[in-house]
Amino acid sequence: MKANAEQTKNQTAVQTSQESAWKHVTSFAVMIVLTAIAFAAVATNLVPSHLLVPLLLTLAAVQVVVQLYTFMHLNQKGSGFPVAFMASGIFIGVISAVALMILV
Amino acid sequence: MGAGNHATATTGLPAHPEKATFEGKNKVLGFWLFLGAETVLFACLFGTYLALKNSHLGGPTTQDLFEIPLVAAATIILLTSSLTSVLAVLEMKRNHLGRMQFWFGVTVLLGLAFLGLEIYEFVHYVHEGHTFTSSAFGSAFYALVGTHGSHVLFGTVWITTLMVQAAKRGLNLDMAPKFYVASLYWHFVDVVWVFIFTVVYLMGKVG
Repeated sequence: MKANAEQTKNQTAVQTSQESAWKHVTSFAVMIVLTAIAFAAVATNLVPSHLLVPLLLTLAAVQVVVQLYTFMHLNQKGSGFPVAFMASGIFIGVISAVALMILV
Repeated sequence: MGAGNHATATTGLPAHPEKATFEGKNKVLGFWLFLGAETVLFACLFGTYLALKNSHLGGPTTQDLFEIPLVAAATIILLTSSLTSVLAVLEMKRNHLGRMQFWFGVTVLLGLAFLGLEIYEFVHYVHEGHTFTSSAFGSAFYALVGTHGSHVLFGTVWITTLMVQAAKRGLNLDMAPKFYVASLYWHFVDVVWVFIFTVVYLMGKVG
């Protein structure tokens, strides 16, 4: 009985990770597409020049969020503290970066 | 045997082996605090770079130097290595030591390929007259991109040494958190590269 329960538990674990393997391949495809759009926007001149930098920064930000929430598993339960640490880091980082750009 | 006693080779690892022990939980939590601090470090280097990128003292500018195909190749390599390291962690959770080692091995090889491209790129720039001391742009560029490159180098050494350790000791609740945080580090290095190819190379081409 105990062995059976263990086995079922293991199978469930295997099934969940098989599902998420596909999820990860999908989010990888999303990242490649976002990257391709960014490179294409710079290479082709299709985007008006005043919109280009905001577009590139938005694409990068989206890609980082995808990476944090899928590859780095911030979507899992109990990620409160990691999210708080990264949010604080990004908050202080953005202030520092903007201040340096203005002051230097 | 301690906390790992219930998870033997025959029954396999629990669903989240990296957080199954108190030590593992703390290791992951502490590592996220470190990554928050690393974010601030890189943000400061980005701010400095953006402030100084036009101070090239008559030397080559961003538009003269950067070649998009090389950057695209480096980006694909690093993005792919991020996928292979997440696949390695999935195999670790399934208790497949061999497949985990395979995917981490691919990750390390991709990291080395990235470093090879970066070394080639830097040597090329030095021949063009773009060095660490040639201008404020040069200093800020090599400080930012070089700090990222040294993170890639550290990551490849770290993962390689863990692979050697796992080959000797096998997979257990002691090894799992080590691999998990190493893979978090690797993803973070990739996240930083996303901003480097955007802010330094693509925005540098735009002008």
